[in-house]
Amino acid sequence: MFVAYPFASVVFHSFTRWDGIAPAEWVGFHNFEVLWHDPLFRKSLRNNAIFALSVPIQVVVPLLVAYLIHRRVPGWRFFRSTVFLPAVYATVVIGILTATVLQLDGPLNQALGSVGLSSLQHEWLGSASTSLPVILLVLIWTNFGYNVLLYLAGMSAIDPTLEEAARIDGAGWSRILFSVVTPNLRSVLEIVLVVNTITAFAFMFAYIYTITNGGPGTDTYVSEFYIYQQAFTNQNMGYAAAIGVTLVLIVLAIGIFQIRVLTREKE
Amino acid sequence: MTTVDTVAAAAPPRRRRLRMRHPWPFVAALGVLCLSGLLPLLFMTATAFRTQADWDESRVGLPTTFSFDSFARAWTDANIGTYFRNSVIVTGCTVVLTVVCATLAGYGFSKLRWRLSGGVYLFVLCWIAIPPLLLMVPIYVEMVQLGLLDTYGAVIFLYTALNLPFNVYLMTAFFRSVPDELIEAARVDGAGIHRIFFRILVPLSKPALATLVIFNVLWAWNEFLFALLMLQSDSVKTLTVGVLQLQGRFTTDYPALMAGLLITSLPVIVAYLVFQRHLVRGIVAGAVK
Repeated sequence: MFVAYPFASVVFHSFTRWDGIAPAEWVGFHNFEVLWHDPLFRKSLRNNAIFALSVPIQVVVPLLVAYLIHRRVPGWRFFRSTVFLPAVYATVVIGILTATVLQLDGPLNQALGSVGLSSLQHEWLGSASTSLPVILLVLIWTNFGYNVLLYLAGMSAIDPTLEEAARIDGAGWSRILFSVVTPNLRSVLEIVLVVNTITAFAFMFAYIYTITNGGPGTDTYVSEFYIYQQAFTNQNMGYAAAIGVTLVLIVLAIGIFQIRVLTREKE
Repeated sequence: MTTVDTVAAAAPPRRRRLRMRHPWPFVAALGVLCLSGLLPLLFMTATAFRTQADWDESRVGLPTTFSFDSFARAWTDANIGTYFRNSVIVTGCTVVLTVVCATLAGYGFSKLRWRLSGGVYLFVLCWIAIPPLLLMVPIYVEMVQLGLLDTYGAVIFLYTALNLPFNVYLMTAFFRSVPDELIEAARVDGAGIHRIFFRILVPLSKPALATLVIFNVLWAWNEFLFALLMLQSDSVKTLTVGVLQLQGRFTTDYPALMAGLLITSLPVIVAYLVFQRHLVRGIVAGAVK
């Protein structure tokens, strides 16, 4: 009930003008028309798309890491338990730490100065050209371990005699990984792909709120942050609901497209 | 789960070893990556034990004195003590409520036969796919209408509702793996559905319960967006929201801020280290099936 009722409510209110207090006023598709021409919404979506650049990295690199751990390279026990650590910290903690370390007079710039690299000193969060890559990097770092564990789980379910047979036939490790192991991981690949895409579009709020607070200006807005702004700073609840509905439709469309592509390859 | 365990046991470690001509560059890269996970912990600890004067002088460094001053400043002056208590209450209630509901629902969906069982199960699963951000606005309004805004109840019910679908899914999958013969045998011996549940299924599902507990602890303790929206007065704020107040608008007491962040992180890190194996198991169950 706590989830089903609000879901119906958000769809209804996306067609209204509403400040959250006075009764909502029906305006039809007006909100969606405004949204279509809203430059700030486009900018937010573009930033979401930039964060979605993390998806290919999250699909490939954790696969390699998981395979190393799966095949028990020296130290694999230690790697298996620490690789998830970044995902254990609260996003808020990581966000505040990032903002602290990257301040103009913060630890990173000081360290750069003391090793003679003062030319690299920079106001890291002062412009979108550096702060967006920073947030992207933090995003990859925190979610990395989760993907490794997913791949590990998938690999442990593969019949080990397959790998053994390929090895006896003279296949090298990369051949085994890409021709024997990966084709058996299709359901895990699907999960990794879809979950990381959804994360880039719909779970960015805490990073943005704590690292840049959307700034400078509105340069690091993401759609979720924009909803929050419209709803709770500008009291445009109806408009915020419309952004939410649009965003979810976009995410669903991408997710369905990804799964369709993956399942078509199978046939 | 059992298949995974037997597979792992059947393959001797010797055979699974990677044969690669130059593994060391890969291992070194992996080592750097894993150690980076410890960096935040080191930085927070080192800075929390330094004094404000140390910080003013240099941003990076080791503590020169040993005192818990900054922890005391964070705990009492900045209310972190209260936020810590709130986080414990919210996380505790969420975990208990979610695990109890998910276990009962999982039993109902897997072992009891009733009309619409399949349909209701699918309906519950649908909600896994809905991103919570969509519900930001209506949930806020709903909580205002229910008079729950600014109470523990708001976030506890919300967290439970948001997490239940996934938990129900895991518990149902687990109970389905329990052989029906076991239940049948108990029924022949005259046990009712309640007795079967409490005497047979619950004791069997300890590992699955541990998985649910660690998942929900991590999630509820670290949740930020809804805590920010729902909890507005200092007496009910949880740590993730409260710790933001240690960031001053003009000057920030960095050692105290780091102490606050450390207090926020340590409980979940400890919980993770204790329940590690169960977390991996839960991910196995979620990913493979």
